[in-house]
Amino acid sequence: MACPPPPPQFVLRGAQSAVNTLHFSCSNKADGPPLLFSGSLSGLVHVWNLQTRRVDATLDGHAGQSVYWVKTLGDQHLLLSQGRDLKLCLWDLAEGRNAPVDSLSLDSVGFCKGSVLSEGTQGSWLLAVPGKGMDEVRVLDMPSKTSVCTLKPAAGAKAGMPMCLELWQPACGPCPLLLVGYEDGSLMLWNVAERRALSRLSCHQEPVMSLGFDPRKAKGLSGSSEKALRVWSLDEQQNLKVCRTQELTNPGIADIAIRPDGKIVATAGWDHRIRLFGWKQLKPLAVLDYHSAAVHCVAFSDAGRPSEQLLASGSKDQRISVWSVYNQP
Amino acid sequence: MAVFDSPQEAFGILRPICVQLTKTQTVENVESLQSKLHVVSDSALQDLQEYILFPLRFTLKTPGTKRESLVQSVVECITFVLSTTCIKKEDLLQELFSELCLCLSSPNSQKPAPVSEELKLAVVQGLHTLMHSAYGDIILSLYQPCTLPHLGFAISLLLTLVEQEKSKQIKTSALKCLQVLLLQCDCQDHPKLLDDIETKKLGDLFASFLPGISTTLTRIITGDFKQGHVIIISALKIFYKTIAFIMADEQLARIPKDKEKFSVEHRVAELMVHRDANWVKNTGDKLAALIEKIVEFISVHPHWKARMELIELVQDLLLKCRQSLLKSVGHLLKVLVGLVNDENLDVQNRCNNVLKNFADQRIVVESRVLTDILSENLHSLATALPRLMSSQDDQGKYSTLILLLGYLKLLGPKVNFILHSVAHLHRLSKALIQVLELDVTDVKIVEERRQGPDGLAESSSSLSEPPFHKSKSQRKYFRFFTDERIFLLLRQICQMLGYYGDLYLLVDHFMELYNESVIYRKQAAMILNELIAGASGIEVEVLHETHSRASTEELKEIITSILEEYISQKNWYLVTSNEAEGNREELTMKHSDLQAITSGVHTCHLVPLPSSSELNLTVCSMNSNIWQICIQLEGIGCFAHALGIEFRVLLMSALYPVLEKAGDKTLLISQVATSTMIDICHACAYDCPRDLINHNADYLVNEISLNLHQMALFPHTPIVLEIMFQNSDATLLPLVDDVIQDVLLSLDQFHDERAASFLSVLHTVLAALARWFPEAKGDKQLQEQEFRKEKYGLHQDSATLGKGFAFTTSPEEIERFLLDYLRNKDVADGNVSDSDKEVVPCFPEEQPLTPEAEMNDVCPDVEATLPVQIQIAKNVMERCIHLLSDKDLKTRLKVLDVLELCVTVLQSHENQLLPMVHRAWLPLVHRLTNDDPLAVLRAFKVLCTLGNKCGDFLRNRFSKDILPKLAGSLVTQAPVSARAGPVYSHTLAFKLQLAVLQGLGSLCNKLDLGGGDLNKVADACLIYLSAKQPMKLQEAARSVFLHLMKVDPDLTWFILNELHCPLLYEPPHPSLHPVSLSGMAKSRTEYTDNVLLLLAELQG
Repeated sequence: MACPPPPPQFVLRGAQSAVNTLHFSCSNKADGPPLLFSGSLSGLVHVWNLQTRRVDATLDGHAGQSVYWVKTLGDQHLLLSQGRDLKLCLWDLAEGRNAPVDSLSLDSVGFCKGSVLSEGTQGSWLLAVPGKGMDEVRVLDMPSKTSVCTLKPAAGAKAGMPMCLELWQPACGPCPLLLVGYEDGSLMLWNVAERRALSRLSCHQEPVMSLGFDPRKAKGLSGSSEKALRVWSLDEQQNLKVCRTQELTNPGIADIAIRPDGKIVATAGWDHRIRLFGWKQLKPLAVLDYHSAAVHCVAFSDAGRPSEQLLASGSKDQRISVWSVYNQP
Repeated sequence: MAVFDSPQEAFGILRPICVQLTKTQTVENVESLQSKLHVVSDSALQDLQEYILFPLRFTLKTPGTKRESLVQSVVECITFVLSTTCIKKEDLLQELFSELCLCLSSPNSQKPAPVSEELKLAVVQGLHTLMHSAYGDIILSLYQPCTLPHLGFAISLLLTLVEQEKSKQIKTSALKCLQVLLLQCDCQDHPKLLDDIETKKLGDLFASFLPGISTTLTRIITGDFKQGHVIIISALKIFYKTIAFIMADEQLARIPKDKEKFSVEHRVAELMVHRDANWVKNTGDKLAALIEKIVEFISVHPHWKARMELIELVQDLLLKCRQSLLKSVGHLLKVLVGLVNDENLDVQNRCNNVLKNFADQRIVVESRVLTDILSENLHSLATALPRLMSSQDDQGKYSTLILLLGYLKLLGPKVNFILHSVAHLHRLSKALIQVLELDVTDVKIVEERRQGPDGLAESSSSLSEPPFHKSKSQRKYFRFFTDERIFLLLRQICQMLGYYGDLYLLVDHFMELYNESVIYRKQAAMILNELIAGASGIEVEVLHETHSRASTEELKEIITSILEEYISQKNWYLVTSNEAEGNREELTMKHSDLQAITSGVHTCHLVPLPSSSELNLTVCSMNSNIWQICIQLEGIGCFAHALGIEFRVLLMSALYPVLEKAGDKTLLISQVATSTMIDICHACAYDCPRDLINHNADYLVNEISLNLHQMALFPHTPIVLEIMFQNSDATLLPLVDDVIQDVLLSLDQFHDERAASFLSVLHTVLAALARWFPEAKGDKQLQEQEFRKEKYGLHQDSATLGKGFAFTTSPEEIERFLLDYLRNKDVADGNVSDSDKEVVPCFPEEQPLTPEAEMNDVCPDVEATLPVQIQIAKNVMERCIHLLSDKDLKTRLKVLDVLELCVTVLQSHENQLLPMVHRAWLPLVHRLTNDDPLAVLRAFKVLCTLGNKCGDFLRNRFSKDILPKLAGSLVTQAPVSARAGPVYSHTLAFKLQLAVLQGLGSLCNKLDLGGGDLNKVADACLIYLSAKQPMKLQEAARSVFLHLMKVDPDLTWFILNELHCPLLYEPPHPSLHPVSLSGMAKSRTEYTDNVLLLLAELQG
């Protein structure tokens, strides 16, 4: 690399606890300033205003238990947060409100983040969360909270707990699909409507910590506590197969994010570093070394002009670093 | 007092005298007539008007030469009559008019007759009265084509009088008379109502006289200044009223193409003028020359009333004759433009009003012609500007710039016509840039260094500097002018450009110049600042209110881009001093700063610079760099004002650089940066810089932390951190913690190159912590004292006993004392038996423990519950231990300072402090025993602090590791200081001796040293009680003994008495041995005085 990687554009301080998860909400400029949501170990969700770089609001709805997933729904005002208190809260943040409007009890005590698929009709959306049984995944129709199905691997599969989920709507088929990474290191593709597993792929020796999937390229990648990233793809018959393995210097990938424009991928490393890869060939691009503790999460901003695309990472060192990288058109 | 009301009576009175006068025409008769007239009522006089006038006129008409006095009295008498009556007959009026005129005519020449001034005055006044006494329209009979010659004669007569007479009175009267004659009188007596046709006729008539009147008046107006402003003012008034009448656009519009035929004789008809387009053009051209002359002359007239009248002239002419005097409009506008910034406030206001009036009536903006003329003027001014700026003197520049400003004000938004022409924009900017060139030869700017603590909160006003918060900006010195008013004008001009001009265009243009060359940079920045100030519309006097200005959003965008440029690496980090960044020199500077904090002394400390020509060059460039930074700082202040509260968002990027400069070593820069901060506070509604920093600490910390990761690129980061800490409070602790982690990380990474600057940061941090958490100190000390009291109650007992010993000694007391003494001795020797336990309580059990202490006792793993500041201090102390043996002396000194602060902060947490002290002990001993004296001195200070905080812990270590060495050095140094001269007190050795002696006493006290050690201390200090030692050392030595008295009075008493004993002690009982002390019966020695002093203290 010709020049050293840049420093973060800025760093957000004040979470006062390890940052577990991040989510950008920048798309509707008219509605307000670009926001970044963060969930922390202390159970708070912080709403960061990216214009002033300060906390706009702090949401306290998980009784001090670690929040490990936040996500906005459609517009900026609806926010989902999932915490270790076995609750999934729905917040309506319009007009500065900061109390949960609804919540859903969860049954799993794991760390598996949920996944959401907005269907766009009458504001209903699908939610996948770990289920009651050890290896189950529940899919619910929200906001009615009616259960759509429970997906359980075959009895002899010994997949272990689900570790990460990715729900998506394929362009060709009508029914939503769900990717699940399991404790035993395998990935399974489920057809939600038919409630059956379409394909299974053993790709890691260790539990799958995170996965990212790009429906347009029908390609995804996953990381575990090993020293390798695995890239796999989905063929027309909906079979998963490994296409590439990227070795890493240090083990442990906590989170993976693919930029919305499908050009680069970022990983959050236990080695305090963020790694950037080109998504096409998984070419290593940069190692961003800023944090002084394990990086827990990475996120890309959701839209806007190419030059305004941001990358954020949250770390155990209680800081959120925001980067402006590889965004010259 | 009119006695005779009826005409009959009056007639009776007046008749004889009239007859008399007709017969013999003498002055006496005229006078008696006049005196009679006084007793006749006005109405009677009116009836008898013609009768009375007859003898008088007769007198005038009598052929042959008359005596002047007679003529004069006759004229005066006529004047009197006319003043109370009115003329109702046209022919009487005409006749009187010509008769009066004739009084002054000389038969053969054009000139008035060489008569006395009194007569002239009388005639002029007579004429004046005559004109006023004409009844109604009668007056118009004078203004017929046929009377043209008479009228012409009268006018030329009056003009000649005005021009040639010496008497001011005649001049004024003649002017007044002329005014009436031209029907422009401003008194109320005239029937004004001339209809259009009459007006036109009169205009035609007067047009014949216009050349004469205008040229003569011009001559008068542009004559000697000394003739007085009154005359000039009336002349001006007649001038413009006449012109405005004759050349009125309204009239001229209705002039028919063909000449009218008048039924007058040919000769007269020739005189008549036909005001057709051709004539108007010619006349206008001719008048233009005259007007230009007048304008030039009067606009600089010293009397403000003359200038004021000029404004009236401009207003009148511009309102009435814009078209006919097209050629003069430029000159006329120039007057307004120039006088808009007149030094007289009334003139200024009037001018402003007129301009506003024009602006309101859209005369300038709407009328293409005027705009064209203005732009043309501005064009030519812009073209000439660079030349004028380089050739004119201050006064010339001043008036040129006033003109420029006036044009800009007048043109308003239309100024863009000029700006859009590349050539003119170029010329304009070139002129501005050229004239704004700063004088950068002053060496002082470079030399003056910031001293003492950073005075953000306290306004530091040193003697050499006026309090700079008041003045808007730092006084600048320019190469091409010295007059401060010129700078003010230039700023106004730029503001005006910013207000009316196309801001994007201007900013782009000057930004280009800014980037083009370092020669233009400062000026361009100055101009940019003012453009923004103007664009915000704050404090800008404007004529045109309504126009589309840049919106706040646009302004913000523009400001953001300029700001970005200002604070970019290449424009912000300029070389401003000879000291290489981060070199050791800087450290010493820093150090002296810190000392200044403690001593509160503001000293001016100049770094001498060699003045070879080569170095001078660099001084100039450094000076220039300093100014550039200052201007950019001022700019940031400007931007803040322009945006107001909106600027808060920009603080994200702007605050850090400003703070960095506030900590700059160059006095000027730090001052300007400080005032910039104050500007920002005002603009963004913060109470004070402290408030500003506190509220935006997160932005600062962000920047600081990022920069600490790249120390090599941002060597100034520690300064900002320092300033931030100096100006913030405990609420920042979480952020501080965060950034300290970064600092320590970087320190670990770069401790070779950058230890010095980091240490100063750590010093600031810990000083701040010690300041923020003082309460812990109080608690602890209190507890300590209680504890001591309990533990060492014994000693105090013995002390009181010891005191008692000298006076009253009962056997019981002696017995108890001895028993106590023995037991005490046992304890000291370590033979503590179980039975002694209650006598020497190890810990005061009844003492309630502070919850903190309790917690410390309960859970050994206290890491998690440690307050942040303790954690920080611990971490820092850890680094200090490593750096204590750094090879660089200055680093070691700095480390010792930081160490001392660490101890202060940690004192409330003994469980943390003691292990750290244990680890720090060995390197500290090295500093104390074999290091540079400076380090020893500093280390001893640390030792004293340590003694304060953890005495018990140190006792053995001190007596083992340090005391022998310390005592030894005191003993060996004593003979040196005893012999030394007065200069000795300036040496380091002396300071060291003094510090040790001053500190040793309290250290013994705090450490509660035992007998043997006390002896050592006393032995070493005794020699300093010698009168041969310098006074200060004696005092210090005495203080040691005073402390020793508190620890062990008996021993001290004994030691002192061994040296010198003033008393003889008789044993109370013969069975006891006689008391023998080696100091007894000694004659007076060098120690006597001090010993006696101390003994007195001991007894008292």
